[in-house]
Amino acid sequence: MKTGIFICHCGHNIKHTVDVAGLSEYFRKYPQVTVSEDYPFLCSEPGQNMITDSIEKHGLDRVIVASCAPSLHGELFKDLLRKKDVNPFLLRRVSIREHCSWVGDDMEENTEKAKRLILSGLYGAAHFIPLEEKQVDVNKSALVLGGGVSGLSAALFLSKMDMQVYLVEETPELGGRVRELKSVWPSRKNGADIIAEMENELKARDNVAIFTSSKLTNFEGFFGNYQATIDTPNGEKKVMAGGVVVAIGFTPFDPDIKPELGYGRDPRIVTTLDLERMADALKLPDKPRVAVLHCIGSRDEQIGRPYCSRICCINALRAAERIKERYPDSYVESFYMDMRAHPRGGEEFFEDTQEKGVLFTRANIAEIIPEPEGVVLHGEDTLLDEVFERGFDLVVLSIGMSSPATSRDIASLLKISLDKDKFFLEAHIKLRPFDTAVKGIFIAGSCSGPKDVEESISHGRASALKLYGFLNLGYAFVDPFISIVDPKRCSGCRMCEQACVAKAIKFDEDKHVVHVEEAACMGCGLCNATCPSSAISLKGYVDTIIGDEISALLEAM
Amino acid sequence: MPEQTATRVLTCIQCGKCTGGCPESGKTPFNVRMLMRKTQFKSNIEESLPWYCTSCGACTIRCPRDVKPSEVVIELRSKLVEDGEIPVTIQKALENTFVQKNPWGRSRNKRADWLRKLDFEVPHVSETESKRLLFVCCIQAYDPRCMVIPVNVARLLKTGGIEFGVLGEEEACCGNEIRRIGESGLFEELQEENLGTFTEYGVQEIIALSPHCMNALKKEYGDTGIEVVHYTEVLAKMVEGGALKFPGSFEKKVVYHDPCFLGKQSGIFDEPRSILKAVPGLELLEFSRAREMSLCCEGGGGRMFFEVESVYQRNAEVRVIDAGKRGAQVIAAACPFCVMTLEDPATEKGLIVKELSEILMEVI
Repeated sequence: MKTGIFICHCGHNIKHTVDVAGLSEYFRKYPQVTVSEDYPFLCSEPGQNMITDSIEKHGLDRVIVASCAPSLHGELFKDLLRKKDVNPFLLRRVSIREHCSWVGDDMEENTEKAKRLILSGLYGAAHFIPLEEKQVDVNKSALVLGGGVSGLSAALFLSKMDMQVYLVEETPELGGRVRELKSVWPSRKNGADIIAEMENELKARDNVAIFTSSKLTNFEGFFGNYQATIDTPNGEKKVMAGGVVVAIGFTPFDPDIKPELGYGRDPRIVTTLDLERMADALKLPDKPRVAVLHCIGSRDEQIGRPYCSRICCINALRAAERIKERYPDSYVESFYMDMRAHPRGGEEFFEDTQEKGVLFTRANIAEIIPEPEGVVLHGEDTLLDEVFERGFDLVVLSIGMSSPATSRDIASLLKISLDKDKFFLEAHIKLRPFDTAVKGIFIAGSCSGPKDVEESISHGRASALKLYGFLNLGYAFVDPFISIVDPKRCSGCRMCEQACVAKAIKFDEDKHVVHVEEAACMGCGLCNATCPSSAISLKGYVDTIIGDEISALLEAM
Repeated sequence: MPEQTATRVLTCIQCGKCTGGCPESGKTPFNVRMLMRKTQFKSNIEESLPWYCTSCGACTIRCPRDVKPSEVVIELRSKLVEDGEIPVTIQKALENTFVQKNPWGRSRNKRADWLRKLDFEVPHVSETESKRLLFVCCIQAYDPRCMVIPVNVARLLKTGGIEFGVLGEEEACCGNEIRRIGESGLFEELQEENLGTFTEYGVQEIIALSPHCMNALKKEYGDTGIEVVHYTEVLAKMVEGGALKFPGSFEKKVVYHDPCFLGKQSGIFDEPRSILKAVPGLELLEFSRAREMSLCCEGGGGRMFFEVESVYQRNAEVRVIDAGKRGAQVIAAACPFCVMTLEDPATEKGLIVKELSEILMEVI
């Protein structure tokens, strides 16, 4: 056996608390270690070359990379082995950054820990066997959940790429929240027109099935071959989809849960969305006094919404501008904590609104008290240190985005995760922002955190593109980590059958043992853990590997 | 300052939500947002400032960064207490509480005197089957104006057929105001003494008369396993279930004032109102600043024990004028401190202040 150990400095990340040079020196004494080196950045091109050159020069058949956590750069290092015709499953990643150098500051202790982690990798890797990635047939079809701008843009893209699309929308109409907007900033287009354009284009295509007033009720299967059950007004429908784009949008914040805002108790207190709906029906005196409040349902720990909703500063500016345009003699005062007019052109829009005469006061309004002669705002002008009580004819609350009401249900059906604010969680915020942890399931639009219309459309397209990339060949490779049953040990108790979420375990009535359907197995390992006779093991993760890795951690050195 | 409090102060975004709803900011030199700013920079804070806070809790309930400004004020006071830089009357209240277990310094063995005004015997809590304790509170055990409240509530509970007992002289101050003055050491002593007594007699449930005591017993005594309720919660249930009936009538317009510790800090808004609505003849009015927006009477946070330096219009007076404008004849409250602060300006303006139980005594 010829093992190569490569230890990364990760710049200063690992090097500053782990003696990397000492480690590479130490492992050279093991007879099965052919080469042991350390390098500033193994993920850099010269770092990668060092590994491939060593494989070639020494004919390595095991590669150990001690660096960041395996979730990062997973495929990158595997590809280095592939390039040199070494089976990529003979690679062992050891996390000495997240699990070691980032945890403590003690150089000696950290080096000792890193030593044991690498040793455990070395012992474990000795049992590795070459594995073949599984080729599976995939359906060139997609399930898109949510018919708002994001879902529509994903559906359109996929349909144009010749994929069969099933679009499921909970409400009777497509278009989501954008349909309600009278003028979408910055294009000033009517939201309903934007939707109509997309909807007409989608409806004209013959590879799209649209289910409105419908919802997903069941979801099973595996990447490339998911089966979705949809409850539609015309009865239950079952469809096969290679993958999913989740674009179920958001819930507008309901200010009723903040009693000091007085929302719902007086018609003169409205939200930005109410204002859109009212449109021309809005009746105010000739010279109205109007207050616009920012950050309603955003940046507020008291109600579990600590995040910035990103869209509401622009919405507040739009509301102020609309009042000012309709009532040129109005007094419009906008109350903000911080102005975050962040999208392109946002700051200029802020400036324009100021020029139009809208006044901006840095205050987070404490109480809104409806009195017969006007709605009274209690607050403090924090730039003047002045506490005030001011009366207005109309108060507009610029509401933020809350997570979609059904996010929990969808998450549990699809077995994907939510973040702390109950938006869908991406696989990696920077490297895999559209993926979920489940292969073939993508998220798009504001269901993964507040986004404006433009971002939601791009997000929808990006997720669709990634899904298309997974499915366009009609087949795909999946990890070879599947369960295998030793029929000699199997007692036929069928407990594994209960544990299996992928329904991959089948019972043979004649032989009274179970076997695993390879195509269906997700390699989650639940059956292995359940089996009372240790008859099931996971290819590439056998008990001897784990046993030897543990002994390495405990071994006297 | 505890590390966690200091860390939260650093997250303050100076939005002014605290100041905007503060019953003291604006009219006095007290600006709660500025105190947070100065605390962030460890700047000098003028020593009279922290004493303006009434502990109404509005800032802490609403702060978008959960900085808990009213708790920070307690820490600022705590430093002043430690350094002995505190108003003389506060000093006196602390000493009294240490010696006699009540801030007024009345003799501890007179704590159960109110019981003499009853025409029936109230057992010691240890002799009750339910182990349900009526916790009297210092002001209601000693103050001549407030002494009637425990008497009334005891009668109402008996009429409704609810068993309860008392601790008599064994009851010590709950420490709610003491903690807010910044004497956490003394608060812990009181807590320990009371908890020891509760455990000794196997107390299962506490009916608190003052919302201030309820707050300390329920939220600041740790996980005691004892259920703590305010007496209006018990009475409201009795009225609803028909156990308490009001044969008389009270033909007056009554406006209800939400006490901070009962209302905005504990969410008990509907119980006192449902009791008042059940009183025949009574017309219930509302302030526009009601429920979560109720204007603090300025009786809490140790403010019962000293006068602040600057001269300004009292909230109690604002409240009484507002009540008058609404055509109210009576202001009802369910807190002894509110009753005490509201009564002066009310008497001046010809309005009557009644503790909720006083109204009920006229109709049973």
